[in-house]
Amino acid sequence: MGRVRIAVTRRFLLGCLPVVALLAIAFDRPGFAADRFPLALKDDRGVTVRLAAPPRRIVSLAPSLTEIVFLLGRERFLVGVTRFCNVPAAASALPKIGGVIDPDVERIVALSPDLVLCTTDGNPRDKVRALEEMGIPCFAVAPQDLEAVFTAIERLGILLGAADRGRAEAGALRLRARLAAPPSGDAEKPAVLFVISTTPIIAAGNGTFMDELVRLAGGRNAAARFSGRYPRLSVEGLVAARPDVIFVAGMSGVERFPEEVTRWKEVPAFRDGAVITIDGDLVTRPGPRLVAALERVSAALAGWRAKAAAAGAGGKR
Amino acid sequence: MTGGGKGSGAVLPVLAAALLGALALSAATGPVPVSLRAAFDAIFRGTDDTAARVLLSLRLPRALLGALVGGALASSGVAFQALLRNPLADPYILGVSGGAAVGALTVALFLSADASPLLPLCAFAGAALSAMGVFLLARRRSGVSPERLILMGVVVGAFLNAVIMLMVTLSPPGKIPGALYWLMGDLGLGTPRRVSVLFPYVALGTVLLYLLSRGLDLLLLGDHAAFQAGLSVERVKTATYLTASLLAGSVVAVSGLIGFVGLIVPHGARVLVGSGHRRLLPAAFLLGGAFLVLSDTLARAASPAGELPVGAVTALAGAPFFLYLLRRNGRRA
Repeated sequence: MGRVRIAVTRRFLLGCLPVVALLAIAFDRPGFAADRFPLALKDDRGVTVRLAAPPRRIVSLAPSLTEIVFLLGRERFLVGVTRFCNVPAAASALPKIGGVIDPDVERIVALSPDLVLCTTDGNPRDKVRALEEMGIPCFAVAPQDLEAVFTAIERLGILLGAADRGRAEAGALRLRARLAAPPSGDAEKPAVLFVISTTPIIAAGNGTFMDELVRLAGGRNAAARFSGRYPRLSVEGLVAARPDVIFVAGMSGVERFPEEVTRWKEVPAFRDGAVITIDGDLVTRPGPRLVAALERVSAALAGWRAKAAAAGAGGKR
Repeated sequence: MTGGGKGSGAVLPVLAAALLGALALSAATGPVPVSLRAAFDAIFRGTDDTAARVLLSLRLPRALLGALVGGALASSGVAFQALLRNPLADPYILGVSGGAAVGALTVALFLSADASPLLPLCAFAGAALSAMGVFLLARRRSGVSPERLILMGVVVGAFLNAVIMLMVTLSPPGKIPGALYWLMGDLGLGTPRRVSVLFPYVALGTVLLYLLSRGLDLLLLGDHAAFQAGLSVERVKTATYLTASLLAGSVVAVSGLIGFVGLIVPHGARVLVGSGHRRLLPAAFLLGGAFLVLSDTLARAASPAGELPVGAVTALAGAPFFLYLLRRNGRRA
């Protein structure tokens, strides 16, 4: 009975999503939130950024920030992005200002932006400072977990004069994230290894978004015993970790384990063929698509649990 | 600069024992528990459980690879130091490392993932090409002078370094970690197959160098004195150069750029057995092998943040040890 009610509630909530989005768009008229300006907002560095009016010439220094600007419906004011900004597809057509760690200050200044969106995870501090010394307001965002990403969307909404849209989008994402998490209970937690490179084997450890995705999806991170954020594992380290499921965050590099690694059938994931490739951009960019990644991870782990339960019923475990 | 020191007769057996001890320690260290009993069964009874397979197909190959690589780098370092009459010479000084890196990066960064078996081959080809290039550039009608070799080696090395930086900058970001770990030196690729691929090169190179040891002794006296002692100087130099490059190039191809071993181990060995090459070469091989196996064990076991690149450990552990040797030696003299 309880199981059925949960399913019904979920369907109902999912059904609400389009309505929420429509309401958000309906209330997203320029004049609606613009009356908050001039505004002063503290960024994640503790720097107070002051804007007299909603920004009309925005430069984004990170793919995740570009995605958020699009999500907020403010893409028509984007005048510059990095060469890595490829989502949504329209972002690729915008003028490029260099990369995340090597933005070209002169090119940014030439675009005469009235706001630069930057991140403390990747953008060099002295380049951002150089922009600020030119009188260009720079708003830094540094979300370290999923909730902080949602908060960043809301705050950027306020900053870009789309406060209601920001709140609505963040709310919708929060809802999806909550629905993706499995019902809490004492179901068996699979050991999950998230690797960002297969040769050498580099795993996502504590303090990464991938670690959070695994935990939210009802797994436990098999690389949690390492202290580093991105520990490198030997083949023996992988065998000792015995992950039940392995996610490979494909980053246009080596996305498959070589045969000399996969032949270790002591690793349940190799024995059962539970090695899943997931788009690397999805899990490393602290943007709205992290929720899509969570949904994928969650679905995969639900599949593992169903299999484990079936095996348990068959008296195998 | 005298021949074998007095009372050093027992040094070689002691070094051999040290290498064996290092191999055993390396084989006993790792995250998967392997009991002594399990190890015994794996080796003598051919059991096939996880412990046995971890020991036989992961740890022992890696330890043996470390011994071969360390020994080859140290031998190559001895040869280059004699050839260039320069105590700061190492196997990488003449562009070998740069050439190997360009070869390996070409495969790692720009070819498909399926091409990775080509990596050692291309690294070796790159090393051989740049070593030959430096040699031909440095040669004049009067022969090859150490100064010209070093100069050409440094110039070619600088050029190749620029190429490496360009390649890394222009490569797809997802492929950079693998390339960087290789550049830092890594024994993680130790598989039984790689050990058996490397073994003939190292064996051939080491034996050839040993046969050249009297020539190397004479080279230390200077070209003129060596010639007067009846040595065909140019032939010995060419043979030494090619052999030492072969050793360094083949090693770099399987383990990346492991620094410091080829530079300091020869000096350590010289302190122990003197500078006569007939004893220095084997001593350097054993000491280099033991040093690298121990460094790799440390790199695997010491860090709670996952594996460290062994190249960092060799330099971290090697530099203070080198200073200690120098000071102790200075006090005794």
